Amino acid sequence: MADDREAILSRVRAALTPLPERAAMPDYDTEIAVMRKLLANRDLVSVFAERIKLVNGEALTDPAELARRFRAAGWLHGYCDPALWPRLQPHFGGDFQVETSFDRTRIDDYAFGITRAAGAVAETGTIVLKDASTSSRLGALAPWAHVAVLHRAEIVGDLPHAIDLFGDDRNIVWCTGPSKTADIEGILIEGVHGPGVQFALVLD
Amino acid sequence: MRFQQIDQFASHLKADTRASVYQSTKMTHEKRTKMLFDQFADPNRLRTIAGEIKQHAIENLDTYLPAVEAKLKANGAQVHWAADAEAACQKVLELMRARGATRMVKAKSMVSEEIELAEFLGRHGIEAVETDLGEFIIQIDHDHPSHIVRPIIHKNRREVAVSFEKNGLGAYDDAPEVITRRARQFLRHKYLQADVGLTGANFVSAESGRIVLVTNEGNSRFCLAANKVHIALIGIEKIVPRDRDLALLLNLLARSGTAQQLTVYTEFISGPKSPAQPDGPEEMHVIFLDNGRTEVLATECRDILRCIRCGACLNVCPVYRQASGHAYRSVYPGPVGAVLSPLLMGDRFAEKADLPKASSLCGACQEVCPVNIPIPDMLLRLRDKAKREHVSSPGTPPMGAWSLLASQPTAWRAALIGGRLINHIPTKMLPVPALRAWEQKRTLPEWRGGEFRKWLAQRRKGKSP
Amino acid sequence: MLNTERMPVTGKRVQLMATCLCDAFYDEMAAATVQVLEYLGCTVDFPEGQTCCGQPAFNGGDWPASRRVVRHTVGTFAGSDPVVVPSGSCAAMLFHGAVLEFEKESDLPAVEALGRRAWELGDFIVNGLGVKTWPGRYEAAVALHRSCHTRGTASGPAVSALLASIPGLRLAEFGEGEQCCGFGGTFAVSFPNISSAMGDLKLEHIRAARPDVLVSGDMSCLMHLGGLAAKEGQPIKIVHFAQVLRDALKNGGLI
Repeated sequence: MADDREAILSRVRAALTPLPERAAMPDYDTEIAVMRKLLANRDLVSVFAERIKLVNGEALTDPAELARRFRAAGWLHGYCDPALWPRLQPHFGGDFQVETSFDRTRIDDYAFGITRAAGAVAETGTIVLKDASTSSRLGALAPWAHVAVLHRAEIVGDLPHAIDLFGDDRNIVWCTGPSKTADIEGILIEGVHGPGVQFALVLD
Repeated sequence: MRFQQIDQFASHLKADTRASVYQSTKMTHEKRTKMLFDQFADPNRLRTIAGEIKQHAIENLDTYLPAVEAKLKANGAQVHWAADAEAACQKVLELMRARGATRMVKAKSMVSEEIELAEFLGRHGIEAVETDLGEFIIQIDHDHPSHIVRPIIHKNRREVAVSFEKNGLGAYDDAPEVITRRARQFLRHKYLQADVGLTGANFVSAESGRIVLVTNEGNSRFCLAANKVHIALIGIEKIVPRDRDLALLLNLLARSGTAQQLTVYTEFISGPKSPAQPDGPEEMHVIFLDNGRTEVLATECRDILRCIRCGACLNVCPVYRQASGHAYRSVYPGPVGAVLSPLLMGDRFAEKADLPKASSLCGACQEVCPVNIPIPDMLLRLRDKAKREHVSSPGTPPMGAWSLLASQPTAWRAALIGGRLINHIPTKMLPVPALRAWEQKRTLPEWRGGEFRKWLAQRRKGKSP
Repeated sequence: MLNTERMPVTGKRVQLMATCLCDAFYDEMAAATVQVLEYLGCTVDFPEGQTCCGQPAFNGGDWPASRRVVRHTVGTFAGSDPVVVPSGSCAAMLFHGAVLEFEKESDLPAVEALGRRAWELGDFIVNGLGVKTWPGRYEAAVALHRSCHTRGTASGPAVSALLASIPGLRLAEFGEGEQCCGFGGTFAVSFPNISSAMGDLKLEHIRAARPDVLVSGDMSCLMHLGGLAAKEGQPIKIVHFAQVLRDALKNGGLI
């Protein structure tokens, strides 16, 4: 069947041609959409840690603390990006069973997934995931707890800066807290299709 | 006098449905307002600029659409064009059949509701499962969404629990947490079994060809992680000129719609997965949909195409709160729907010409719209359009005689005096239907026509203060 | 948005548009408006040929009928003096609605010119004449309802500040003040169930604030709310703010 490209574009042109002039693009500073007072002179790591807490995520800096949290919650079986595991393994005990390859036929086996983030946005408490640095999209999404590993220097202040750093990655995801819904009577429930627990592990 | 359909619907609405809708919309609206004014010095200026950005995009679609298409192709996506609902549904079917695909998982997409895609695919032997929790509940209930962001705002947990039980999703349990966990378990396996993931898009950047998805649940991420084909169905009006404009629009979108700074997941997708990535679509297809949008573009109401589907106008609208979404008989209800839905009907405008009348023109919608759409002006234009096209309008008082009277001062002054008669006639017998309709709900004040002019004349003669 | 740029006020001669509602039902309010303006030193002309601003037909969708009435109004209010109108909705009709429905008409300039001279009463007093406080006395808890047609204009804050400055007057805050009362012109009779439900909700909020009187700058809203309350057997006292200003002066022995 014929595609309607020409039909649609010619209708668009017909609709717009009678306009005496076209609405101009406003000249504006992207800074206007930034919450300036929030960031003024503050260390981005602390702002990030504060803001991610507001969306029920958490920023940690010590892999040993991460392992303690998992053990306390009974999350001993998980997935980790093979490039990250050598640095993290020393902090996880022998009671953990961590796979470095995500098997999609057993997604319910993984209580946690640890993957590399490309950065973070302080003002919103957002973790930035990119396709090129995410070892497995499912590994970052399906397990109950997700840990995004990033470095201090990769945190930017605001959305305009985060957009400046897009580059040409095909699939960029801004994660702002654990997945949630309020569809039923407006009551907030965390952990819908995505993770119910969202950590950022911020390393030096 | 016959009353308007929407008014009748409102009067028959169940009390607990009205209560659900009122409480949710009021809470979201109040949080939205507090958040915007706490976090920004001048939110109204942000709305004005965002409106100008979108208006510019709409009025330059002849340039931007080909530019977006070129960018998407350069990124490895395939681009298709569908003039109407039928063409879009057929295109999706064709793409699926060519790949032997029989199962689809869908993220929330109002455009897909508009074209009734899931039902169409169902008739052709394809399982298309809604993955957004609210839309999933709507689907298993054979219901329709009543709000563009909160599809089941009209339902309570008991109704949902009954549906789940009826559909084999467990014994009755109306705890929201239990319902959500059951949906999570059920749908996770659907994602993995599906051949195709379908999404809409909130924005498309003409600069980079990135499509932007805005969700809270993680369902769209799953639709794009577990299978090999991504189909994105996008209205032609979703274009945004540059990536950096997304910062302003995204900052306004979630705050306006759900009083969040950002939704949990904001995805920027410019093509199929990267070669090294094990999970995700190997093909990406974008279908640009017209379905009446070019007709809207040709009218004086083209500004309505700025809409970014936040739902803030629904949340503040006093008429929406009283009637609820289903009263509008349309995929798009509320203030935005009262303009968009009749216009998208094209030459069947008359079927929905009552929607623009279901408004007191209070202007609250325009005040909250993140892209500053002058909705009340458009409602007025559509009332004029209905009159010019001789659409019958039950309940609207005829204005021809009134306007003659109001342009003849001598007749007017005589009517002021003559009108005193109505003080002596039982209202039920008044010859003016509008006065009778008024009096069913409210008392009429005493007619005092001519008194002010008499008072003024006496004052001018110096007779009394 | 609304075309709210006004011509600056250079003198004290004004034309009064009393509104069709006052002509028919609320002579008291129109009289109070005259008394208030004259107290402020204005010379008030009342063009006898005036009828209506044309809004009912405009809202009802009959633009040709409305334009007929607007043309008559433009002719009746010829001149260059400010046109003062004690109604937010009639004022907005003059400076916005009429301009919209005349956009393709050859006499649009005359309609726009009238719009630039049209002032809602509270806006005129506070921003046109520069009167920021009001003397006299008015002992009452006042629930002030701001009509929807004053959204985006200076009228709301002007009236609020002026009333709050009157000795003895206390503004009683009530919930959801931004929500419409439900009048909406022809909406009130074409969508009577929704209109009265909106009005009842507003009355509930107002009553919770226990005011002595319900005040507004629009008799249409007051006619609707007052009428609903009376029909339901729980009447509420309704008064235009012009009457409050006039009564404050009387109570203070100033007129």
